[in-house]
Amino acid sequence: MDLVRFYARNSQEVVGLLGQHTYLVAISTVIAVLVGVPLGIMLTRRPAWRGPVLGLANVFQTIPSLALFGFLIPLPFIGGIGATTAIVALVVYALLPIVRNTYVGIASVDPAVREAGRGMGMTDWQLLTQVELPLGLGVILAGVRVATVVSVGTATIAAAIGAGGLGVYIFRGVAVVDDTLILAGALPAALMALAADALFGLAERRFAWGGGK
Amino acid sequence: MTIGAGRLRAVEGGVWALVTVASLAAACRSQDRIVVGSKNFSESDLLGEIVAQQIERRTGLPVARRFHLGGTFVCHQAITAGQIDLYVEYTGTAYTAVLKHAPGADRDSVSRVVASDYAQRFGLVWGKPFGFNNTFAITVRRRDATRYGLTRISDLARLAPRWKAGFGYEFLERADGFRGLASAYGLRFAAPPLAMDLGLTYRALAEGKVDVIAGNSTDGQIQALDLVVLEDDRHYFPPYEAAPVIRRATLERHSGIGAALDQLAGRISDAEMRRLNALADVEHRDIATVARDWLHVNLP
Amino acid sequence: MTLPLEVQGLGFQLPGRGTGDEGSARFLAQDVSFTVGAGETLVLLGRSGSGKTTTLKLINRLLEPTAGEVRIAGERARDVPPTRLRRRIGYVIQEVGLFPHFTVARNVGLVPRLEGWEPARVELRVRELLAMVGLDPDSHAPRHPHQLSGGQRQRVGVARALAADPPLLLLDEPFGALDPITRVELQREFQALQRRLGQAMVFVTHDVREGLLLATRIGLMQHGRIAFLGTPQEFRESEHPEVQAFMSAADPGPPARG
Repeated sequence: MDLVRFYARNSQEVVGLLGQHTYLVAISTVIAVLVGVPLGIMLTRRPAWRGPVLGLANVFQTIPSLALFGFLIPLPFIGGIGATTAIVALVVYALLPIVRNTYVGIASVDPAVREAGRGMGMTDWQLLTQVELPLGLGVILAGVRVATVVSVGTATIAAAIGAGGLGVYIFRGVAVVDDTLILAGALPAALMALAADALFGLAERRFAWGGGK
Repeated sequence: MTIGAGRLRAVEGGVWALVTVASLAAACRSQDRIVVGSKNFSESDLLGEIVAQQIERRTGLPVARRFHLGGTFVCHQAITAGQIDLYVEYTGTAYTAVLKHAPGADRDSVSRVVASDYAQRFGLVWGKPFGFNNTFAITVRRRDATRYGLTRISDLARLAPRWKAGFGYEFLERADGFRGLASAYGLRFAAPPLAMDLGLTYRALAEGKVDVIAGNSTDGQIQALDLVVLEDDRHYFPPYEAAPVIRRATLERHSGIGAALDQLAGRISDAEMRRLNALADVEHRDIATVARDWLHVNLP
Repeated sequence: MTLPLEVQGLGFQLPGRGTGDEGSARFLAQDVSFTVGAGETLVLLGRSGSGKTTTLKLINRLLEPTAGEVRIAGERARDVPPTRLRRRIGYVIQEVGLFPHFTVARNVGLVPRLEGWEPARVELRVRELLAMVGLDPDSHAPRHPHQLSGGQRQRVGVARALAADPPLLLLDEPFGALDPITRVELQREFQALQRRLGQAMVFVTHDVREGLLLATRIGLMQHGRIAFLGTPQEFRESEHPEVQAFMSAADPGPPARG
């Protein structure tokens, strides 16, 4: 098949683009987790922040990805052509599912459990690390799963601003109306999304405290 | 409960009537309205707008615009499929990228071949060129040109291994694009070129993200960003003369269009095109207004 | 000799809202005073909303008093960091609140482990307590809460509260969510436990019979204040209208004839 021949002829380039794509998704997801999970935890401690923070993350999500890339380009430090801008945008998109799920995961812990823990003299940190996070982990992982799958797709658009990745094939294919090229980029991207979904789904089942119901 | 035979027939009749009306309407529309397309950069939009307004003024026909389509190949597909009637193409692009001839011929043979091949293979007619040559401009920053004494593309060969190139997606894929250029001039870059939306390559060059790009020789940003265009000393690129390309059927149905387009022949020089591009790209003026003003001055 | 618990003029006021009209601020508890000695059980009785749970939470500072003082073994509760205070007070609630992802053993051993006891000592103590509340350690220690019945879960809850051997135990309607038969069973066992252990306890309930059974003294609360404070015998004989209302609810009297 054309596609197989294309991959065989350009194996090095394919691997390179695959690597770039994985890099974009991995780095942005890690940053989003490092920022989003603590933020989600904060929301359970400071109810007043809930509205503004979730509202803001929601607004970010509604911005079309290409538009967000466009807005970021002229900015110093985080902007410009290339991977940095793409990563910033991907982090922004990953924040809502991660923050919201962290918040929900922790907030949905049985209030009696929380009261018992506090009543027995657990510090807030002990309660968080020994009770709330373990019990909420399933929902949090679900949020990371959604964020990652979305990132894989959004990262293809990053090729428009010179960030590389599988989107390069897609844009090249569109420019010259070449279906094989388009597929060469779209297929691995779709497979990557599916793989991420499956992997995190597995992690959810393994680590989540879903039992007890 | 079954639908009565009478009612069923009424519904059938209604559907047929609807279909007839719809196809008549579509046919009427397509017969009267001219659709002008353009590629995805400002110059193409500008020329498309000038052509569209010229047709409107001279023939009174309604013109619909479908601008900023995805590039040469998308426009070509659109016009051969009849989704647009007309767009502005470049002879060199048609010669190498569409007709897939090897680059290297002179201006007259390119024009001749392109006109006859398009007529024969696609039923498309080439109008007279506007008068400028928009070739690929291999562009570098001025300070690099001064520092390394760069005036010609062949001067790049010794710097290529240490430099980074950035191109738009079409240039990367086309036969008369990067691959042909690299082999004609022996350019070997350390890493594959950075790919991005064509419009962003100027910014990338100015910011130092890349060291050489393939812009267009009539772009307004070249002067604005203090960039230098290198001479194509081995004459790798064919001439790229801009001219309107129109479906023969459309031309024959509305004879006034031919005359209207002929009035534009030879009216835009290289410098003039660059000026118009600068108005659009650097000063961000509205394209329709720029076109109207130009027609007002040059073809009152 | 210092008493395990002294409560003096305790009050909790909700932030007032709006202007004018009497009661611009609501008092969930007002001017509550009592003492509890070692081995004594004070039952706080009252209707829903009478302030008994509030009072309980003021003792271990889950709610901060807006008036009055709490002394635990002579020390002012206000001067002790809440976390440290609560480690020295056993706390049992109606919903139990066992950690679903911990085994029974880990649940019971929570406070000792937080206090840094050695694992061996914790394990020993856990087994001791499980036996004390009537659960066979070998079969129950490795189980998870969802594998236990309601009654078993509350036994674990009590064991957990006793784990670090606190001088004071607070219980908020601990048997309220259980079926009547299990409730009676646990009340009896609890009574036996009371005699064995030397804790001071504050036991909140709205069940008069439970109160009369388990109390050394009863404190009846009404509208956030203590309406009556005395022994069960004094309670039975009191002429206070609220006491009489409760007594008639406890003992409906002979069925009507006719």
